[in-house]
Amino acid sequence: MNTISKSIPKRDNEDKMKGTALYTDDYHMDGLLYARTLRSVVARGVIESIEMPKLPKGYTVVSKEDIVKENVVNMIFHDWPVFAGKEVNYIGEPILLLVGPDKSVIRDILKKTKVHIKPLTPTFDYSDSVVHKRFEKGDPKKAFENAHELFDMTYDTGYQEQAYIEPQGFLAYPEEKGVTMIGSIQCPYYVKNAVKRTTGLSDTKVRIIQGEVGGAFGGKEEFPSVMACQLATAVQKIQKPIKLIYDRPEDMETTTKRHPSHTLMEAALSSEGEILGMRVHIGIDSGAYIGLSGVVLSRAMIAVSGAYTIDNLDVSGDVFKTNTVPNGAFRGFGAPQMLFAIEMFMLHIAVHLGKDSDAYRMNYLAKQGDKTSTSGTFKDPIIMEKMIKRAKALSNYDEKRKAYEENNTFKGIGMSWFLHGCGFTGSGEADIIKGRVKLHKDTHDDVHILIAAVDMGQGPKTTLRKVVAQVMNMPIERVHYPNPDTRHVPDSGPTVASRTAMIVGGLCARAAKNLKNTFKPGEAQTVYEDYVQPKDIKWNDETMQGDAYPAYSWGVNIVEVDIDKDTYEIDVVHIDSVYDVGKSLDDRIIKGQIDGGQAQGMGYGSLEVMTHKEGSIRQKGYTDYIIATAVDAPPMTSVVMDNPYALGPYGAKGAGELTLVGGAPALGKAVEQAIGRRVTKIPITPESIMEMIDND
Amino acid sequence: MTKIHFTLNGEKTTINTDPSRRFLDILRNDLKLSGPKEGCGEGECGACAVLMNGDIVNTCILPAANVSGKDIITIEGFSKTKQFTAIKNAFEEEGGVQCGFCTPGMIIATQSLLSKNPHPSDEAIRIGLSGNLCRCTGYDMIIKSVKRAAKEGDGLW
Amino acid sequence: MVNHVIAGTLEEALEYLSEGTYRLVSGGTDLMVRHRSWANTPPEFPFNTLYLFKLDVLKGIDATPEAISIGALTPYETLLHSDAVPNLLKDSIRQIGGPALRHVATLAGNIANASPAADAVLVLITLEAKVRLRSVNTTKDVLIGDLISGPSKTNLKAEELITKVLVPSASFTHTFFKKVGGRKADAISKIAFAGGALVKDGIIKDFKLGINAVNATIVKVPKIEQWVIGQTVKQLKENVDQLIEAYDEYINPIDDQRSLKTYRRHVAHNLIRKFVNTL
Repeated sequence: MNTISKSIPKRDNEDKMKGTALYTDDYHMDGLLYARTLRSVVARGVIESIEMPKLPKGYTVVSKEDIVKENVVNMIFHDWPVFAGKEVNYIGEPILLLVGPDKSVIRDILKKTKVHIKPLTPTFDYSDSVVHKRFEKGDPKKAFENAHELFDMTYDTGYQEQAYIEPQGFLAYPEEKGVTMIGSIQCPYYVKNAVKRTTGLSDTKVRIIQGEVGGAFGGKEEFPSVMACQLATAVQKIQKPIKLIYDRPEDMETTTKRHPSHTLMEAALSSEGEILGMRVHIGIDSGAYIGLSGVVLSRAMIAVSGAYTIDNLDVSGDVFKTNTVPNGAFRGFGAPQMLFAIEMFMLHIAVHLGKDSDAYRMNYLAKQGDKTSTSGTFKDPIIMEKMIKRAKALSNYDEKRKAYEENNTFKGIGMSWFLHGCGFTGSGEADIIKGRVKLHKDTHDDVHILIAAVDMGQGPKTTLRKVVAQVMNMPIERVHYPNPDTRHVPDSGPTVASRTAMIVGGLCARAAKNLKNTFKPGEAQTVYEDYVQPKDIKWNDETMQGDAYPAYSWGVNIVEVDIDKDTYEIDVVHIDSVYDVGKSLDDRIIKGQIDGGQAQGMGYGSLEVMTHKEGSIRQKGYTDYIIATAVDAPPMTSVVMDNPYALGPYGAKGAGELTLVGGAPALGKAVEQAIGRRVTKIPITPESIMEMIDND
Repeated sequence: MTKIHFTLNGEKTTINTDPSRRFLDILRNDLKLSGPKEGCGEGECGACAVLMNGDIVNTCILPAANVSGKDIITIEGFSKTKQFTAIKNAFEEEGGVQCGFCTPGMIIATQSLLSKNPHPSDEAIRIGLSGNLCRCTGYDMIIKSVKRAAKEGDGLW
Repeated sequence: MVNHVIAGTLEEALEYLSEGTYRLVSGGTDLMVRHRSWANTPPEFPFNTLYLFKLDVLKGIDATPEAISIGALTPYETLLHSDAVPNLLKDSIRQIGGPALRHVATLAGNIANASPAADAVLVLITLEAKVRLRSVNTTKDVLIGDLISGPSKTNLKAEELITKVLVPSASFTHTFFKKVGGRKADAISKIAFAGGALVKDGIIKDFKLGINAVNATIVKVPKIEQWVIGQTVKQLKENVDQLIEAYDEYINPIDDQRSLKTYRRHVAHNLIRKFVNTL
């Protein structure tokens, strides 16, 4: 059906444009109190004492002593405390909240508060492994034994900060002997389950409501649970409404970021230069607490062969703990780190062998029926060859590549080929999430979509309403999708992993079909639909073998650069791209995801530098953490090609992360051509280009 | 405490306050407006922007003292104008809104630009929006929105 | 207990300054960031503040054949639209912040702020611009290069305020301004370069050059400029390495969260060379 892709107006646009859409900090309540966090200024140490001036009436400290049930934030790995225990493990770690009516008073009390910490030796290098994973495909031992030559390279990627324009925050208040919280969040049920576990409050006593979200990109996936547990504890204790909103320096220094990585890639090559096998190790820096770093590691490892089929693989990875701010989810979730490595490695192998890199890697491009990196199967059609052809035509790639091959043009063009697994890694959908959607038809025959999926700008409020309206053959004006409130919606799962359109949308489509078939006009009806694992998708989490994802989306990015010969500044001249997301559920919304994801990909590759010095983040705001302005944004041309996925609504697969993951490698290759030096590290800066050129 | 007189969305207003306070705080807390937002508090992101005598300014770094005698229009006031309608329709058509947090500021920037340059080039549009950060769109669709607003709202500026 | 006052007239402002110590605030864009505090708490100013933004008498541009007189509180954006303002100065202003900042930021504020990475101030110092300082009893003109003594340090007396910026008229045949920031707009300079030259019949009749962010104060060396003046363009191009070496004595950058000293030095050399090559 072609009509689903046709763009329609987004209902939420008008309120957002008028400034009447309410984000968390826009809510006011009578008698509202404010909370501010007291944090560690030491990267590692033992808290010996806290000296606080006498508190005036109405001001309360909330700390680990006030936690009713567990001082643990419910996450994938449960090592993250709500408030610091005896030890602090990173600069910025929350120790307590100070709550009261007047912010100036709170500020002044905290300024005069002294925390006596006995410092311990912090770790900043990749030495303390806390999670180790490994898997194999085929017979890598044999491949390496038979190799004519071994070739290896290491690749490094840095931090990336989500930098959503709306900082993190919650407003919490006591309601019916429980706690209700309005927050800027991606996962209402993650927050609810975390708050239940920490406060001991029962299921009906914790209510989480999504406020309008001003951008998230993974940064509001698991981190909000930390704030929510602290704030819920405060409301439990004080029994008054309290607002906790981070200011930008606080948000930038102390919330989760993309894991920095270090990857060693080794190839076993035959005498003809054929890749017999690869051995890869990736290390990622989790910061002070593991949280969901194990899953990031998994996705990174699974992405090891990128868009290619490599028959023999030995893949291992470690999560390294350091005394820095804990890292977490960010659009791509481990794949950007590995895709940079594998794309650059395929280029570097070819160059090493004296072969044309695009012709060389074409031999390894994955095809339908091939075994994936984890010995599952690419079950669905792959149209990458067509996509590559289209992308090259769009960008005049061959001509430009030839022209820029000459030394000293300082211009370059680079092409990346990549994929992204849609949905939760492995058996997560079936074993952990078990998503459920609810459709309610009222007596006026209007349909309400009751799911926990959050519209944070990526448009499910429009796309999923379209799906339901089209399945039910009813006007879209009569399909409603409110911001999730856990009191009214079942747990359809978190808004992550590019699963919302494909999996939640798929459930909504089936529920809508069910409702259509049982439709009783004028009567209130409710239908539920639960996730069922497709029978042919099998995964073993222990061995990391099988089908890691039910479906894959694919992409080609071509980036052209022009580097200033005097200042080494990188000008991204143009980005051309082709994507396969199964079926676009709204062309304008998909273009928005493409443009935005690509801009973040460029940032990951060059502009966005974040570093720490002895555990202290050096970039504390938008002045020092550089994201693109409208002047920096390159012109972008993109094409979406249809390749419908049978189990996705109208054929749709995931799109949210795909559009970020291919940018940095394309940029890296373009820069490599422009300056004639090997690029092995991102972000690439004018300073690093100067060093690469000077170090020859 | 000092009395500061200014015009807010067409109405004569007086506040009696510490003149060093950020004007953003006065708008959001004293006057309970939700349009101007805090994204950074350092004048970098533009989410707090309003029009001051027709020019875009960032209220998070604007001391109340400097508002004295000025004509202030926030998105709340601007959204009642014909120019807003033209801009709104253009942003709608071109997909210039995703999460919406930067949007009021972007619209203020658009008005500030078009009121001085009704037919801006692409470069002038980029410069006009250069003080407003967006993390969702990659800017292309916003630039196209402004271009469309200038074209279809021809005569309004 | 600090005092915050709004000046209604210039005389009122000068009175305040003669009676007490105040930090002068024009646009406020730098001070409000430097002393920022938690949302909805006032900035943590440890000093009295005197707001000058209402003083329209200090805004405006006047041109005579010898000099352009710019009201010290004229917002940057106004300067961009004035024909009287020299192109080199406009080039530097164009890349300061974004439109919102340029609608309130002023030359006075930037000069008093004395950042070694300032862009408009770089051009002013290169062009040997002066400021007019007024107090209740005195009026005097001072070279901006002499007024700024170090990072965030000026010789401005407590009772003085800047009323005008006086830019000598110069006729250049070649001007070159290049700013290197972290991105193309709204960025603080890692390094910026300003150069102006008057070439007649192949001979360099006037030569001015300045570089920011490579030392504690903006680098402008009249001695080197004098050495250049009188050379032919051909000679200068042959002597360019010597020119770079001469400036290198004054180039002493640091590493910071924005950039590296090696990069700043490297780029300074490249930009000097580039400017000479345009002549």
